[in-house]
Amino acid sequence: MTARKSPGESQRTRREFLKAAGAGTAAAAFGTVTLSAKEVQAATFDAEYDIVVCGGGGGGLPSALFSRWLGNKVLVLEKAGTLGGTSFKAAYWYWVPNNAAMRKAGMEDSKSDFLRYVARLSAPQTFDPSAPRYGLNEWEYSMCEAIWESASDGAELLASKDALPYRHVAPVPDYFAEMGYKGNTGRVLFPKDGAPTMSDGGRVATRTLSLACRRDGVDIKTGHRVQKVILNDKGEVIGVEAKVEGGGVYRARARKAVVFATGGFTHDPELRKNFLNIPVYGGCAAMTNEGDFVRIASTLGVQLRNMNYAWTCPVSLEKAIARDPSISGMFSVAGDSMIFVDKRGKRVINEKLQYNELAQKFFEWDGAKAEYPYLVLISIWDQRAQDNSAGHEYGRLIVPPGTDDRHVIKGNTLEELAANIDARLQKYAGYIGGMRITSDFTNNLKASIARFNELAATGKDLDFGRGDRPVEQLFNGNVKEEPGRTNPTMWPISGQGPYYAALVTGGTLDTKGGPKTNNNGQVLDGNNKPIPGLYGVGNCVASASGRAYWAGGATLGPIIAFAYRAANTANREPVKS
Amino acid sequence: MKRFPHHTLLASAATLAVLAPGPRVSAADDPVALRALAVSHCSQCHTFEKGEPHGQGPNLWGLVGRAAGSAPGYPYSEGFMTALKGKLWDTALLDRWLADTLSVAPGNQMIYFQDDPAKRAALIKFFESQR
Repeated sequence: MTARKSPGESQRTRREFLKAAGAGTAAAAFGTVTLSAKEVQAATFDAEYDIVVCGGGGGGLPSALFSRWLGNKVLVLEKAGTLGGTSFKAAYWYWVPNNAAMRKAGMEDSKSDFLRYVARLSAPQTFDPSAPRYGLNEWEYSMCEAIWESASDGAELLASKDALPYRHVAPVPDYFAEMGYKGNTGRVLFPKDGAPTMSDGGRVATRTLSLACRRDGVDIKTGHRVQKVILNDKGEVIGVEAKVEGGGVYRARARKAVVFATGGFTHDPELRKNFLNIPVYGGCAAMTNEGDFVRIASTLGVQLRNMNYAWTCPVSLEKAIARDPSISGMFSVAGDSMIFVDKRGKRVINEKLQYNELAQKFFEWDGAKAEYPYLVLISIWDQRAQDNSAGHEYGRLIVPPGTDDRHVIKGNTLEELAANIDARLQKYAGYIGGMRITSDFTNNLKASIARFNELAATGKDLDFGRGDRPVEQLFNGNVKEEPGRTNPTMWPISGQGPYYAALVTGGTLDTKGGPKTNNNGQVLDGNNKPIPGLYGVGNCVASASGRAYWAGGATLGPIIAFAYRAANTANREPVKS
Repeated sequence: MKRFPHHTLLASAATLAVLAPGPRVSAADDPVALRALAVSHCSQCHTFEKGEPHGQGPNLWGLVGRAAGSAPGYPYSEGFMTALKGKLWDTALLDRWLADTLSVAPGNQMIYFQDDPAKRAALIKFFESQR
């Protein structure tokens, strides 16, 4: 393993780079170009298509295929050098309410229960199971209704054309399945040839979707970063302009429509800082997700919505700060003889909470001390967990020997571990407000372990409820077989070293705010009228989910629904002069 | 010697390079531009320096001139090994590979197709320097 260099030096120059890059991108590069009728006639486009799709990931590839299968000439412009976007690294579960497989298996789903479930999670303050829209506003309701209506149609069409064959993972519950709504088990589909652990679906899906695109004559250009939308003098979208990797500009005419599926703004620090309700450190979205569509569309008088929320997850603090492109979100917190402690050495949360919810803890604010006391939590585990719970999937911190363990801190005793944790924290002082462990950390850690061990012996976490809920069992990961135990998420931590630790903070799979669309993916202007020829699918536009993460795949399932609807609506667009 | 933080410094530089218009990348281009292209296209899955860990794909230090499927500790897929095990990564094979990985080794995990020969040559040139 290479020795780690002090990041102090790199920090300064990297910040300067990012500042310079930010200034360059925000200013003149993004926006709109309006052409008069004469200019449109004279304009040189490099190529002409019916539909131009910006983005070749989880939203773009399905949008392109649905459009192509309706007989359109389709181009995909992808900013990165490869396809797949964020979805390439994802597990790629997709949540499809009332899907064909569950119906075939006799598993009941219900439109009203589906809508009640999403309303309960997305609009908890106004939720009312007996109100006509269950407490959702008109826009939210129409968007959620569209997911119910179209996710299965989209999934079935993709499967029937061999673009995304699936298998039904019937027993997987929704994340709040214990609320007892109909259909809370059975909605998850997974790419058919993915691993039994269901962690590698993104690679499979990107392969099958991109092969189908190329088989069926979708043109694909990588290394093309769309920066401008081209309008005619009636304000209709007639094409895009892209910056080409290595130099040059590429203009594509879109006779019917342009569909944006360019992802969120996880990797733009300026947009994150100014829009998100929590100061996340980055995340596992594609490195190219820098909010390009927010910048482009902002020149068109759109309504930005849900900019404050994101699909969140814990992440390795160190990998996030290093902008490691291989970073995964921590979807599964590994280990049973494991706890998280804060800088004081105290347990503060149920470590097995579903990832979107766990991530909120890091940004709790202490109004007396004016700080985020849980900004960095420290995962602590023993040799037993290291031996039995290691894995390379789902972003787990406990990794097998011989794999990337640069994030792991070791100590033969708890005292030694504490000293090494403190030394590691010092390396990141400039990012974490100079956070250090407190002087009573080791004593508190010992007490926390003693208390945890008492609870683990009974299988009941009286302090934080670990393992009480189906979703916490779902993501538990491998643990040692312990005959007779009632709660597989907990086991006493050993009284003997060696011990291991890692630094954890909050990040995003990606943000989920952007221009508001109607439920056919049409981007709306300030008067709620569709901007002719402009569509948005996925994380580059506003999600109606608010803060909620309804279930595994509640990202990609709705994306497939909206890709399907956008393609069908765009297909009916008149050709614009 | 290039270490982890230096690699990510150049990741930011790569973004900057993509934004700024400049000369088309060709095999003759300078090391900074070649590295920027490799970072942009390959770093989501691969590391490039000696001793850096495997990610979604194997570490590529010493790639050119080694046998395909030989990076210690990386779990190559069946599709990859069926098509490529033991074959030598020379510039000709790399060029075929980068043109369309899925047609060279159907069912393998890497999804990459580059129909610009100049870009393929530039990437190969970068990897030649990584040994």
